Amino acid sequence: MFISLQLLHMSVFSQSFSPCGRFLAAGNNYGEIAVFSLSAALSPDASQASQKPILNFTAHDGPVFSLLSTDTHLLSAGNGEISAWSWAELIKKVRVSCSVNDNSLIVGGGDNNIHIMDMETGIFKSVLKGHTDYIHCLCFKEREEEILSGGEDGAVRIWDSRTNRPVHCIEVFKYEECARPQFGKWISCLATDSDWMLCGGGPSLSLWHLRSMSPTSVFPLPGCQREAVFYQDLIMSVGEGPHVSHCLHGGTVKAQIPCTPSSLNTLALNLKNTEHRVMTVGGSSHQIDVFTNFSYRAFSLSF
Amino acid sequence: MSSDAVKKRKPKVIRNETGTPETKRGRAEGDQAVRVYNEEVELEARDPQQDYMLYKDTCAALAKLMAEIQELKAGGAKSVEIEERRTQCSVHFITLKKLNRLAHMRLKKGRDQTHEAKQRVDVLHLQLQNLLYEVMHLQKEIGKCLEFRSQHEEIELVSEEEFFQEAPAEISRPHVTRDDQHQLTLARLDWELEQRKRLAEQYKMSLARKEKIQKAIEQKREYLSSLQPGLQNIMQASLPVQEYLAIPFEHMQKQAEVSRHLPPPLYVLLVQAGAYGQACDKNLSVSISGDVDEAKALSRPPEDSQDDESDSDAEEEQQNTKRRRATVGVQLDDKRKEMLRRHPLSLCVDLKCKDGSILHLFFYYLMNLNILTVKTKVSTTTDLSGAVSAGSLLNSESLLNCLYTSDHGKETPNPANRYQFDKVGITTFADYVSDLGHPYVWMQKLGGLQFSSDSALTGSALSASHMERTMKLLRGRLQARLALHKQFSSLEHSIIPVSSECQHLFPAKVVSGLMRWTMMSYQEFTELGFVQHVLKAGLVRETDLFFMAVVERGTARLLAAVVMNPRYPEVAPLFSLSLHWKGERSGRTDDNLQAMESEVNVFRSELQGPRPGLQLLTNQIQRLCVCLDVYLETESQVCDGSEGPKEFPREKMCLRTASTKPVIRVNFSKLRFIHNK
Repeated sequence: MFISLQLLHMSVFSQSFSPCGRFLAAGNNYGEIAVFSLSAALSPDASQASQKPILNFTAHDGPVFSLLSTDTHLLSAGNGEISAWSWAELIKKVRVSCSVNDNSLIVGGGDNNIHIMDMETGIFKSVLKGHTDYIHCLCFKEREEEILSGGEDGAVRIWDSRTNRPVHCIEVFKYEECARPQFGKWISCLATDSDWMLCGGGPSLSLWHLRSMSPTSVFPLPGCQREAVFYQDLIMSVGEGPHVSHCLHGGTVKAQIPCTPSSLNTLALNLKNTEHRVMTVGGSSHQIDVFTNFSYRAFSLSF
Repeated sequence: MSSDAVKKRKPKVIRNETGTPETKRGRAEGDQAVRVYNEEVELEARDPQQDYMLYKDTCAALAKLMAEIQELKAGGAKSVEIEERRTQCSVHFITLKKLNRLAHMRLKKGRDQTHEAKQRVDVLHLQLQNLLYEVMHLQKEIGKCLEFRSQHEEIELVSEEEFFQEAPAEISRPHVTRDDQHQLTLARLDWELEQRKRLAEQYKMSLARKEKIQKAIEQKREYLSSLQPGLQNIMQASLPVQEYLAIPFEHMQKQAEVSRHLPPPLYVLLVQAGAYGQACDKNLSVSISGDVDEAKALSRPPEDSQDDESDSDAEEEQQNTKRRRATVGVQLDDKRKEMLRRHPLSLCVDLKCKDGSILHLFFYYLMNLNILTVKTKVSTTTDLSGAVSAGSLLNSESLLNCLYTSDHGKETPNPANRYQFDKVGITTFADYVSDLGHPYVWMQKLGGLQFSSDSALTGSALSASHMERTMKLLRGRLQARLALHKQFSSLEHSIIPVSSECQHLFPAKVVSGLMRWTMMSYQEFTELGFVQHVLKAGLVRETDLFFMAVVERGTARLLAAVVMNPRYPEVAPLFSLSLHWKGERSGRTDDNLQAMESEVNVFRSELQGPRPGLQLLTNQIQRLCVCLDVYLETESQVCDGSEGPKEFPREKMCLRTASTKPVIRVNFSKLRFIHNK
């Protein structure tokens, strides 16, 4: 149980939906992971209690910066360690950390390198070196099997996952239309949709065409964006400021939906499950806002 | 006959109508030649019937003569015949006269005889009456005699069998008494008398013995009391010995004597505190102060006071009629004063700390309300002055606030008092608290008074179960407050006093400095803009202490509003930040500031310092300065396009390798302070 003081200073850093789409796992700055039941929260007779986690456990010593769901497991990254939790166990409200039986896991770390780990054996297969500062975000382009990474040094590097060699390097801050020197040059969010790439952070959030390697549109959002995703024909991004921004590919900001936390760290879309298709955002508050209709906030889950 | 008699006696007739022999004789002697004529004798000789016939004849003759006279007169007769007849008539008249006389004499005689007879009858009657009276009297007397209950019947005599058994033969005389009831009773009475005499003798003897013994007792008593001064001297002489051996025997005796007059809760407190002090805590001492005589007066038996009261009531009545009755308000005031009356004795508990400062607690008992109150005083070895913001720290009003959570001592814990207050018009007890002391709940528990139904303990068990914890809390509170006092005085001089044990928590050089440290009121606190989230989260109460710290470096100014719970350091102070540097940011708007807030508020366990964690506040402030340094340096790093000199050159080495441990690791894109907790 959290005392009010802790709740006051809580920030949610990462979220992840379960493979079946009925559960949401969120990690906070105290190193705890809470599992919420979306089916309970979205059901017609939801009550205050159903907006509380069904399971709450301490995963790491430090804040849980990223959560990732595979088909069977939930991976959580903390201060220098990655833990894997079985979703089946978590749903049964038991927490057991165990090994995984999957292919590879790409980890971007504070040592400026990207590590690729074989999940069956747990051995690191390879290391991608190139960044000069630590890595903030990673995303994967399935079609071409390419890894995109963005880091503190302001560069977005594209790696070929088969050969493990860098393919491209884009230094976003060097482009005048995106650069915002007052915020710095770091890249904190990356998203890719085959030909398109979104990146933002210190520089403004911008949409890039990967073939031409040039920014096509820059979004005039005031704060630093921390996470952005493609959704249908919209781009949703969250960052500093208590709102979710809906933007169009053309570069206009269509809407800014207000949220509870004063600034947002993470955004997640539950696309695997059509019944519980929600968007959840979390940030510097102990509450996670749930959007059933992406245009307005429905309710909040709280730690 | 009569006319003859008349003729004879005419010349010398001595009429003797009375017939008394003396007179008759007397006359007879005077006149020897005279024959005595006694008509009475003649009377007896005559026959009344004959006289009556004579009377009739005479009347008839007279009538005839009268008629003849008449005839003659009418016929013109001669006066000689008339004369003759007239003479005859006169003779007849004389006869008639005699006859009349005789008749009268007969009547008189008859009357006299009757009278005499009557007299004789009267005398006899009288005698009869007398006799009858006497008879009646005698009968009454007999009756009375028969009714007479002799006193002897009221004496319970022993039964006959016992009597015959016990009494000696000369008294009982069975040969006589067996037959004669009267004698038996007499004998029994004799025996009774005998016995009583004997017992009276015995009684006298016993009385004499008792007197003797009484005298002996008196003598012995005097002897004992003569020993008293000697004993006193010995006690006096032994005082130095007692002190040397540290057994304050006499002092304890005196205290025991006085403590008999304590009201029960104070007594429980005294016993328990004394026991605790002896057993666990040498620095705790308990003493009784106050007016013992008044206390004795309170426990005086009620009959005396009732008599006094009735007398004084009577006096008062008189007085009241003489002067104006006191107004209703004054009466109510008096009733209030009566209700809030304190018992004249009070306990003083002294808690000494290692550095020589003492916390004096004065416990009072309010008799009608049945609660304990406390007043505090702190005496220190060093002079505590110069800390303006520390004014309320050691204030006796708020020193013991919230020793246990939410025990602010403004309301009376005894629910029954509510009804008593209503009767005399006291709305809040808080008005009287400054006068009478604070009625904290822990104190009632120490005195064994249980007002809630939380636990089944009462009395000494309750007191004992709370004593240790409360004493520790009290001491901790005093030490914390004293430490704060010292810290505040240096904070006001813009020096953050970091003790040597805590230096390792901070880097060697800290550039940001504390500029100002002031106290705020609850009102001022609620008006600040950047603390609303704290207020909304319900983390602030009116009983808390509020301070404002201003940390500055260059142009940047950081305002920190501090909420300090009275139970510092168990409850950590809460910081809310607002930064004025190139605009205004607060913990709500800026993630970095929020991170700094969590750094200081939440991740503070290592800032406690050595037990008992009194360095918490100063360490927190120092950490705030360090965070500000780091923030300003790296922030100005980040926003370089690199024109101009950096305002805050990097003076700290922020090590950013992954593997080193307890070092501030700054990750400013998502701005988290990562610590080893």
